[in-house]
Amino acid sequence: MGMEDDILKDFLAESKENLELLDQQFVELEQDPENEELIKSIFRTIHTIKGTSGFFGFTTLEGIAHFAEDILSKLRDGLIKVNEDITTMLLQSVDYIKAILAELEANGKEPVDTEYLDFIVDLRNFSERIAKEASGSPEEAQGEEAEEKTQEPAEAEQAKDTKETDKSEKEKEPAEDKEAQKAKDEKKGTGKNPESEKSSEKPKAAKKKPAARKPAPSATHLTETHVRIDVHLLDQLMTLAGELVLSRNRLTQLANQLNDPEFLTANQRMSLVVTELQEQIMKTRMQPIGNVFNKFPRIVRDLAKTAEKKVQLRIEGAETELDRSIIESIKDPLTHMVRNSIDHGIEPPDIRVQQEKPPVGTLTMKAYHEGGQVIIEIVDDGAGIDPNKLRKKAVDKGIITEEQAEALSDREALMLIFQPGFSTAEKVTNISGRGVGMDVVKTNIEKLGGTVELMSEVGVGTTIKIKIPLTLAIIPALIVTSQGQRYAIPQVNLVELVHLNPNLMERDVQRIGNSEFYRLRGEILPLIRLRNVLRLEEEQQQESVDEGMNIVVLNAGGHLFGLVVDSISDSEEIVVKPLGSHLKHIPVFAGTTLMGDGRVALILDVVGITSSAAAGDDAMKHGTVVSTKAVEDDHQFLLLCTIGQEEYFALPLALVNRLDKIKATDLEFVGGKEVIQYRGHSMPVIRLENYLPISPLPEQDEYHLIVFHMNHKDIAFLVSQIDDSLDLAIDVEEGTFKQEGILGSAIIKDRTTLFLDVYQIISMHDPDFFTQEELIANVPARILLAEDSTFYRNLLSSYLTGAGYEVVATEDGQKAWETFQSDHFDLVITDIEMPRMNGFELSRKIRDEGGNKDIPIIAVTSLQGEENRQRGLEAGIDDYQAKLDRDQVLRAAANLLGEKAMETAA
Amino acid sequence: MRQTNETLPAVGEKGKVIEMAMAETSQFVTFYYGKHFFGLPIDDVIEINRMLDVTPVPMAPDYVSGVVNLRGQILTAINLAKRIGLATTEASDDDGKEHNNVIMGNREEPVSLLVESIGDVMTIPNDEIEPPPDMIEGINLKYVNQVCKLDSKLLIILDSKALEKAENNKNN
Repeated sequence: MGMEDDILKDFLAESKENLELLDQQFVELEQDPENEELIKSIFRTIHTIKGTSGFFGFTTLEGIAHFAEDILSKLRDGLIKVNEDITTMLLQSVDYIKAILAELEANGKEPVDTEYLDFIVDLRNFSERIAKEASGSPEEAQGEEAEEKTQEPAEAEQAKDTKETDKSEKEKEPAEDKEAQKAKDEKKGTGKNPESEKSSEKPKAAKKKPAARKPAPSATHLTETHVRIDVHLLDQLMTLAGELVLSRNRLTQLANQLNDPEFLTANQRMSLVVTELQEQIMKTRMQPIGNVFNKFPRIVRDLAKTAEKKVQLRIEGAETELDRSIIESIKDPLTHMVRNSIDHGIEPPDIRVQQEKPPVGTLTMKAYHEGGQVIIEIVDDGAGIDPNKLRKKAVDKGIITEEQAEALSDREALMLIFQPGFSTAEKVTNISGRGVGMDVVKTNIEKLGGTVELMSEVGVGTTIKIKIPLTLAIIPALIVTSQGQRYAIPQVNLVELVHLNPNLMERDVQRIGNSEFYRLRGEILPLIRLRNVLRLEEEQQQESVDEGMNIVVLNAGGHLFGLVVDSISDSEEIVVKPLGSHLKHIPVFAGTTLMGDGRVALILDVVGITSSAAAGDDAMKHGTVVSTKAVEDDHQFLLLCTIGQEEYFALPLALVNRLDKIKATDLEFVGGKEVIQYRGHSMPVIRLENYLPISPLPEQDEYHLIVFHMNHKDIAFLVSQIDDSLDLAIDVEEGTFKQEGILGSAIIKDRTTLFLDVYQIISMHDPDFFTQEELIANVPARILLAEDSTFYRNLLSSYLTGAGYEVVATEDGQKAWETFQSDHFDLVITDIEMPRMNGFELSRKIRDEGGNKDIPIIAVTSLQGEENRQRGLEAGIDDYQAKLDRDQVLRAAANLLGEKAMETAA
Repeated sequence: MRQTNETLPAVGEKGKVIEMAMAETSQFVTFYYGKHFFGLPIDDVIEINRMLDVTPVPMAPDYVSGVVNLRGQILTAINLAKRIGLATTEASDDDGKEHNNVIMGNREEPVSLLVESIGDVMTIPNDEIEPPPDMIEGINLKYVNQVCKLDSKLLIILDSKALEKAENNKNN
């Protein structure tokens, strides 16, 4: 429908222009009947209308145009000459055409009125008569023609009759009917005795009917609602509007400085107008996304046919508007994705039926506005994408190594599809695999400042979500300064702003190796200093400590980081201007813009900043942390530290509350335990050599302190050196170093590193440290633990056992399920992402197959997500906890076991 | 000058002579940097602009001082001395100095050439223009098109195409 609407609009606009011209041309023609060019031009116009109306199925319009064209063709061929009658008839035709067009524009339908049909009849007869006059041998010519033509009007008549039934003009009906009937009779009569009928008919048509009809058509004015404008003119207007916005910004600054109330008011008023003007001009560039979506019904139909699948296309939000230039550039990526969905996503009908899906697959294209962006979703209810298949493929193709593939979360594995050189089609069909990969799709969308996400569930379907900005020309941006220069950060990337006063800064910003981190509501946020990224000379690092710290939290393609800037100013609408060829290659800049004071500011490229930070030599460590800051399971930020020269340790950074340095002289012995005065409290300090078989901490003037805050108390480990922090997929071996206080070992940076069991060590130091009524098992309970990572398995069983539970640990869901069937347990704690059987499946199995609705199930993840929580609830999981959060896990366990005990008691 | 004198007697051909003389001379916009005297063909220069604010661009190539705003168009500002490799004594520490902008190059993407001071527009007979010598102290010859020996000094005629050409993907 949409596409036709568009063509219709174009057709109407074009016809209107031409018809205005026609009026004039007809008049000219009367003065200059021999003018062939004029006749040809008129003929072409009518011909076009005839063709297009035929395409749309506007029969009345087509009819009028057809006979008018007939007459014109004879004029053109010189068979007849223009006379007043002909001109009148033709002008009448034009009036009727106009009337129909007006109706079409208003209602999208042809007018239902016999008046028009009557006119067709008149016109046809007139045309016939002329034809006879022209041929000079009436009998012959008319025999065939008449027979042929009587059919058409008869059909028209029928159509009219059916239409008329639902017409409201009741009074008119009888009269019209009679007339129509008469016309019909006349028509039939023409074949029999042409001469007499013809002559008597003509005057009737000329005299009687025009009187009745003319008012109607001439009353309809075809108002000019569309004007064709050169696109360049629009672009120019856009640029000028941009400049105007800049000047306005400058004026606003001046007005604020001068503080003259009158000036302020005047400026405010102008400001409003300029904003409005800019919006309106913007609108000239806006087009509904339907312009692109419209092409898809056809594409989908053809593709489905070729692929021998049944697909129903649903389009939602076709009216969503966005910049014309963007619309043009998203067409190809969209086509490609739709192609993929049909080719790889939606299954053939027989398979769908087997899977109890409707045989016709549904493909939905949806567009909507969200937060200043346009979201386009392509949803299919097909087979979905199997992340394992992608992993395998990627390894086969040498895109990633096997280890990397295993380390990928399912979500990340899905993103493999966007890797260059990746095509999931097992066989290349003529639909997909034309050499344009999904990587090109992604690149093209990213070029527009957009992002692509892919979500898929095997057997359920795939959703591709594209986010693109509304327009590219003017963007809202945040202005920040660093070393006295202003920089603009596109608002799209902005998540939040944080200002730390010096006290908070000391508490929450941690420096590990060369990297800095900030604890943002418990999450660890890597910090990048803008001045470092831009390689500006460090003036005084200390100076910023006094003023606190300004952190702009940014989202760079899915992961967050904090950009530290000197100060944060306003948010402004900026006009993006490209950088010159000498500067284009600098990755951290996306362009330039002019500020209100006429000076230039550089626009930062947020993604470029992270990659640039990674590329810089000394910034290498920031980079690895940032770019691999993964949100998936089993990845953890680890803190690496040493004792003496050769003992290397690692522990999860998330457990650490802060890091500090102390002087050896600050250490005190109280009651046989080592403590230190720390923030007004006396804090116990643990030397690891007391609990682990390692060489003792050598005497140093200064020690590093790793402070934990657990169970409302502070406690610290004493180490020689804090080396670094790394984001790693934790893969520990437990064999060699299995002992209390150690979770296992791994090779990190070519060194054997021991993973500390922080909870265990603290408990060894102070058995009562974690004593807290609610967290201790008050009933003896057996817990089944499913966790594939050795590290976490050991950690979890360590603290669960410590809390008094009996723990049976298994290394994946399958194993857990087998164990569950052969034994009795009071509680299940399971990881989500596991090989063979994941946590959701395990939970479902326990609930459904095991028929055990009562046993509490807790899922543990490295990071929680609302999405997982939802899925978990559906799978029958009772609670969600972070693996490392001992207190919460224990509390949840105690609560759930307590509830269960209550229930059974009752 | 000599040429015109020689052809003066032929009064009847005066118009033609002037035409010829014009055809045989070229006009140059001249400017100074340090002790050197430079020129650019007048056709390559779009305009001269004093004191445009230069916004530094971190991580830019060494010879780029930053960007300037020329009536809404943002141009790359190229420091002449650094671009052509003038001896470091002349080029160093001059970022803080005030410069004049010679806006030059193609109209699609002009650049602003930062120079110390602007000289006159000079008309020079073509036959006094020579190819550059094998070496000019402290100047990279790839930016020099021609030279012209004047009474007291050497006019170094620069190659605007070489000056404005971006050397992308260099390590910087």
